[in-house]
Amino acid sequence: MYKNLRDCQIKPMELFQLYLYLSPQMAMPHINLLTWNLPQLEAQMPWRYLTITMFSPLSTEYIVAFNGYFTAKARSHFISSALKSSEALDWRIVPRKNPASDFPSDFEVVQIRQASHSSLLTLEDHPYIKRVTPQRKVFLPDPGATCNNDTRWTQKWQSWQSSRPLRRTSLSLAFGFWHATGRHSSRRLLRAIPRHVAQILQADVLWQMGYTGSGVKVAVFDTGLSEKHPHFKNVKERTNWTNEKTLDDGLGHGTFVAGVIASMRECQGFAPDSELHIFRVFTNNQVSYTSWFLDAFNYAILKKIDVLNLSIGGPDFMDHPFVDKVWELTANRVIMVSAIGNDGPLYGTLNNPADQMDVIGVGGIDFEDNIARFSSRGMTTWELPGGYGRVKPDIVTYGSGVRGSGMKEGCRSLSGTSVASPVVAGAVTLLVSTVLNRELVNPASMKQALIASARRLPGVNMFEQGHGKLDLIRAYQILNSYKPQASLSPSYIDLTECPYMWPYCSQPIYYGGMPTIVNVTILNGMGVTGRILDKPIWQPYLPQNGDHIDVAVSYSPVLWPWAGYLAVSISVAKKAASWEGIAQGHVMVTVASPAGNNVGGEMTSTVKLPVKVKIVPTPPRSKRVLWDQYHNLRYPPGYFPRDNLRMKNDPLDWNGDHIHTNFRDMYQHLRSMGYFVEVLGAPITCFDASQYGTFMMVDSEEEYFPEEITKLRRDIDKGLSLIVFSDWYNTSVMRKVKFYDENTRQWWMPDTGGANVPALNDLISVWGMAFSDGLYEGDFTMADHDMYYASGCSIAKFPEDGIVIAKTLKDQGLEVLKQETAVVEGVPILGMYQTPSEGGGRIALYGDSNCIDDSHRQKDCFWLLDALLQYTSYSMTPPSLIHSNSRVTPPTGTDRPLPERLEGNHLYRYSKVLEAHLGDPKPRPLPACPHLSWSKPQPLNETAPSNLWKHQKLLSIDMDKVVLPNVRNYRPQVRPLSPGESGAWDIPGGIMPGRYNQEVGQTIPMFAFLGAMVVLSFFVVQLTKSKNKPKRRKPRVKRPTLPSQPPQTIGPQHTRPRTLED
Amino acid sequence: MVLRRLLRKRWVLGVVFGLSLIYFLTNTLKQEERTIRDRTLLEARDPDHRIPWKVRFNLGNSSRPITQCRNSIQGKSLLTDELGYVCERKDLLVNGCCNVNALSSRQYICKSCLANGCCNIYEYCVSCCLQPDKQLLLEHFLNRAADGFQNLFTAVEDHFELCLAKCRTSSQSVQHENTYRNPQAKYCYGESPPELLPI
Repeated sequence: MYKNLRDCQIKPMELFQLYLYLSPQMAMPHINLLTWNLPQLEAQMPWRYLTITMFSPLSTEYIVAFNGYFTAKARSHFISSALKSSEALDWRIVPRKNPASDFPSDFEVVQIRQASHSSLLTLEDHPYIKRVTPQRKVFLPDPGATCNNDTRWTQKWQSWQSSRPLRRTSLSLAFGFWHATGRHSSRRLLRAIPRHVAQILQADVLWQMGYTGSGVKVAVFDTGLSEKHPHFKNVKERTNWTNEKTLDDGLGHGTFVAGVIASMRECQGFAPDSELHIFRVFTNNQVSYTSWFLDAFNYAILKKIDVLNLSIGGPDFMDHPFVDKVWELTANRVIMVSAIGNDGPLYGTLNNPADQMDVIGVGGIDFEDNIARFSSRGMTTWELPGGYGRVKPDIVTYGSGVRGSGMKEGCRSLSGTSVASPVVAGAVTLLVSTVLNRELVNPASMKQALIASARRLPGVNMFEQGHGKLDLIRAYQILNSYKPQASLSPSYIDLTECPYMWPYCSQPIYYGGMPTIVNVTILNGMGVTGRILDKPIWQPYLPQNGDHIDVAVSYSPVLWPWAGYLAVSISVAKKAASWEGIAQGHVMVTVASPAGNNVGGEMTSTVKLPVKVKIVPTPPRSKRVLWDQYHNLRYPPGYFPRDNLRMKNDPLDWNGDHIHTNFRDMYQHLRSMGYFVEVLGAPITCFDASQYGTFMMVDSEEEYFPEEITKLRRDIDKGLSLIVFSDWYNTSVMRKVKFYDENTRQWWMPDTGGANVPALNDLISVWGMAFSDGLYEGDFTMADHDMYYASGCSIAKFPEDGIVIAKTLKDQGLEVLKQETAVVEGVPILGMYQTPSEGGGRIALYGDSNCIDDSHRQKDCFWLLDALLQYTSYSMTPPSLIHSNSRVTPPTGTDRPLPERLEGNHLYRYSKVLEAHLGDPKPRPLPACPHLSWSKPQPLNETAPSNLWKHQKLLSIDMDKVVLPNVRNYRPQVRPLSPGESGAWDIPGGIMPGRYNQEVGQTIPMFAFLGAMVVLSFFVVQLTKSKNKPKRRKPRVKRPTLPSQPPQTIGPQHTRPRTLED
Repeated sequence: MVLRRLLRKRWVLGVVFGLSLIYFLTNTLKQEERTIRDRTLLEARDPDHRIPWKVRFNLGNSSRPITQCRNSIQGKSLLTDELGYVCERKDLLVNGCCNVNALSSRQYICKSCLANGCCNIYEYCVSCCLQPDKQLLLEHFLNRAADGFQNLFTAVEDHFELCLAKCRTSSQSVQHENTYRNPQAKYCYGESPPELLPI
């Protein structure tokens, strides 16, 4: 029921201090906060959360927070006395070498080896110790750094029940701090010093022109704002939509966000004169519901809000009431700006609503123009398995170490995409106020202007940076010469351009391959609704071999609101089967929108989408690998649990399981090994098996059509090979990992395990193979490689002439169910088998998919995948595996029953294969294979420029017309004071003319007059008095200096009521 | 020397003091004034305060010459104007009103609406809600609007705005937060929430 802020509330506690602590205030009454249970605290998959930063726990370091400020000696004394009782605990205080360490502090970092639950409890029992939290470390933007996911399991399994994965949290509240990017070198530290983001983006150029956001209504949906915050001068309204009876911000998130948009002093926002509408939709406990949002959104529509910032997000793009409402808002001309999420650097982690076409999705960069590590990325996953994801985020901007308003006063700096989002929202507000004809500003035209003006970052692909970095001044120029039109995002398709067009540029296309799909978004600035006139036309350029490719286009029947998709499928023509080269052409699309000004009239806009591809001859069968996407299911819509049961902070499988999302590293590896990887987004019956060497099924949750099972059997008889990476499936464990989802107020029972083992067993049973319902975990060595088996199953049955490798592992099932540890020897985990028929393919099974999955991977096993592919594609049996002493006789599957499907599971609700029936769900009729209707080419005798990306230009825009005042490239650090800072006597009409000055101006004369009268009368009295007295010269007395008092020490311990006691 | 003596003059000091005093006073008073303004804003939504319903019911007298219409803006293909006409976007006049003579235009139409006041299409819900005979129902609803709706419905200014706001999906439209109670009829002008359908 909750939409929670994912809470990693961090506040800097002293100067130069680099440590953070986690605020344990979560809205979970039944979780005892004193228990030492960090992963449990994080065990919610936030539905929507406030986005600031991601931190990884350091395994053994804890932050001990005290009740007051104490000296280092006293702190050490407290800790040792607190830990005295827990005998033989190996601990030490981590020295902090910074200028602040000489001063008293209210926390200490303690390293404890094998911290037990009880020892942490004893620590917290000490009267001066406020709380103990794990040391968390900010992910550094160091590409080599791997996150330490080795969070040891200290909590019990029962916590599954109390975890609430589906909480909508407000996108992050990991309060960043300004050292986030530069902890390790002083050079970077200096550069990471927080700066005024409005100034860096040259907002002052627009301020000097007199634009300050006045007349623009901007709504902040967040944690509220205090009434008398000194930074804001135009808070028009504050409303509360939560169940707490306050309008104030108790967290600081909402204040910060509002400050970035509209603060007028200290850390200045972009649009200080804009009308702020504060919507409090998150409680101080970071709780929120969809229904609160719905009502608050309705109010925003009624109030005719212009710009709305949502620094929140969550993975549930199938929350239809919410998604529909966001569409409704943009359809009512509200420009929505939202944070893309803090789940990077993993791909496939985009958050809703930022992943919607009508919303401006914002990613984060640091001040050195690197994509912030936390920034979510990767294609949208709505379109899987049949289609391909859209490009998101739309743009990126500063989101790391940005300064904004503190909760009560002053400034602080935070990191996260929820910081980047208000930067864009503030810039958008400022931009809206520059436009004379407000009719031209709408969610689409604003987005068009932002993406057309964005500066591309070098060396970063489009699924990380979108169109690039926000450029406020250029956006101003574009917006002020804008004519309503349609545009495309991305605006061209150049499959050869690396790295921007990754992953397209990573694999050339060839005849016979699965069509490459590019999912382009059409933005229509002409009207909220539009349509594609006639059919898009494919025009190949004959001089540039455009006739070597076939193009099929599908598109939204109605472009509403403001946007739609245009999916371009590209395939190689038969005549180019053994040809190598570059082919070019373009797709021409005409968009029409009803013109509001004359009856029946339509406005039209024609856009060209240049296409450039690299074609190679079809690679040999053995080099080609087909990835099964059709049978991968994920959250949303159903509860598909994580494949690694230890990762309780992320209980859902939600990254799409695609080679370009969370299997990206595996894909890159296979490409580097020379394999060509294609994706099957349709049933197994829909591909020509004679083209492929290996069919890969990894972590499949879906069921199989009977036709698929027979087709695969036939294919393998004819030489196709199969690799299956399975995962756990144990009905008792599945029952155990059910939880009460307070977001939807119902129990959530997983519909499969990590993989759907019973369905897989149906598929592979013809070869006498089966997986078991065992659940194993542990480290081992295989062929001199360190391996980690993270919640996998074992092989229960294998043909006796196959090769089976067994290892000694821990029984994780027992651990989950009974909290007992048991070691099982000889668990068969890997099997390899040559089918007996002549020219038959090979089959390889492995019980765990975690080692090739990017999410939560600890040790990769790409070497094993290589070995298996050598086996399946080239029939080369890896000697290191056959001759190992782990080889065992294949299991016969007689000792324990094979896993059954969990009774009463609801897989049929989300399955493309099953449908509900009385009794057991039955397979549906096999759907027809997708059929593309290729566009009839209209060849042109034209030549395209070699570089398609010049600067995406919007049509009929003459930017030079929009003059700017002299933009000084060098801006001094000292800026003129804003009116708020300079006080009442400042000359009116300073750099920010506005309502504020005028009001002050009206009140001044009255007070001045009154004051002057008082002073005047005083002098009149004085004067008359002194006239009556004779003037006498006072003798000058030299006063002796007073004996100097001992200077008072100023230190926190004196300013606090509590004093030091030993 | 002259300057020093000047500074020692009482009236000079007095002027300095006076100016500082004025500065102090203006600043304090200014802040107080702002606080007061903010507070009135808050009082407007005091829950105990009886809501002054500002809603004027204009009874859609079509003979009244109207030059400019508001309409429902958002529709994919349909729009409802403030006179209760539903029309296709192509039949919208420059002034925002539906072209009454167009074939698609119909006034006060309750197409797709169920007996409980819930409709499948938003524009028909608004049009139906604008029917003059719905006034009683709406007034009744306004007088006992749920707490969560006070923010919204105190800000509504007339019949048209009320219908636009009332027909939108809201907290009343969902079950389990992320599912519609009835995805087929989710836009309601009536008092009752949409009929609850099992998931």
